[in-house]
Amino acid sequence: MSKNKVSRRQFLSYTLTGVGGFMAAGMLMPMVRFAVDPVLQPKASSDFIPTQQKVADITDVPTRVDFKFEQQDAWYTSEETGTAWVYKDDKGEIVALSPVCKHLGCVVDWNSDKANQNHFYCPCHGGLYTKDGTNVPGTPPFAPLDVYPYIEKDGYLHLGKAEPKKGA
Amino acid sequence: MKWVSQDIEMYLKSKEYVDTIVLPLLPVSLGNDVKQSVAMSEFISLLSIQLERQFRGRLIMLPGFSYLKGNSEDKLVSDLKEWEKELYAKDFTHVFYLTSDSFWKAVENKLDGGLIWLPSLPLEHMDENYRTSILEDQVKQLLSLFLQKWQSAE
Repeated sequence: MSKNKVSRRQFLSYTLTGVGGFMAAGMLMPMVRFAVDPVLQPKASSDFIPTQQKVADITDVPTRVDFKFEQQDAWYTSEETGTAWVYKDDKGEIVALSPVCKHLGCVVDWNSDKANQNHFYCPCHGGLYTKDGTNVPGTPPFAPLDVYPYIEKDGYLHLGKAEPKKGA
Repeated sequence: MKWVSQDIEMYLKSKEYVDTIVLPLLPVSLGNDVKQSVAMSEFISLLSIQLERQFRGRLIMLPGFSYLKGNSEDKLVSDLKEWEKELYAKDFTHVFYLTSDSFWKAVENKLDGGLIWLPSLPLEHMDENYRTSILEDQVKQLLSLFLQKWQSAE
């Protein structure tokens, strides 16, 4: 038996404080978690969508790259397919262009018009864009093709949201 | 352009560029061939979405023309002729019908618009990726057909 005995009163007050503390914590924890939850949410996967395209495989010829992303319309989430024309320019920089014609929104194709080799061609109204996406004057489109921002992750190309070309 | 306000607004602004209209023909039947008519309508609806995406700047994709499969040939043809008359009267140079129902193939020469008949594919058994790539292939083949029509009119 040790000298400093714990009295019955002390013992009870220690255990009560202990148990009470746990109960309070049990009540408060979910509340705190609930309050700070928005801060802990991961940023919507940084808005870059992974594609199946390996960065090392990109050549200087525009290639079609399809990717899947989820589009949210209010409560309804649907899976959409996006497309990009991807190539490396003279400086070895990757360029990813949106295939949507700036005229009325048809889908442009690379090199599909025999009269205009090495151009993006819109089959609807004959819109033409050069390889870097600049619209050819005299054809209907009035702006260059949109450009996707991109990042490289684990060797694969990740694309962001298409933006109007800078300096246009 | 789809049959929604936003797209039609765009159409009204740039009418001179839109000379083509596409009407999907969707059979409806609740008899023995209900499954078949559903498969046809489903395939054509999915295809029309892809087709509209490819050519949205030059065509209007109408909501489908659904008809009772049990109706007589004369009635169906005369109903469609009425649509045709209205569409041509509204300055569309190219009218296309998109269908899986082989009935229309048989009466094709009675119609002035171009009939695009494609046998329906059992898309419901395919997974999403495969389905999209099949539909895109189909649209690619239609692409040349549309281009031909457009070029021959120029």
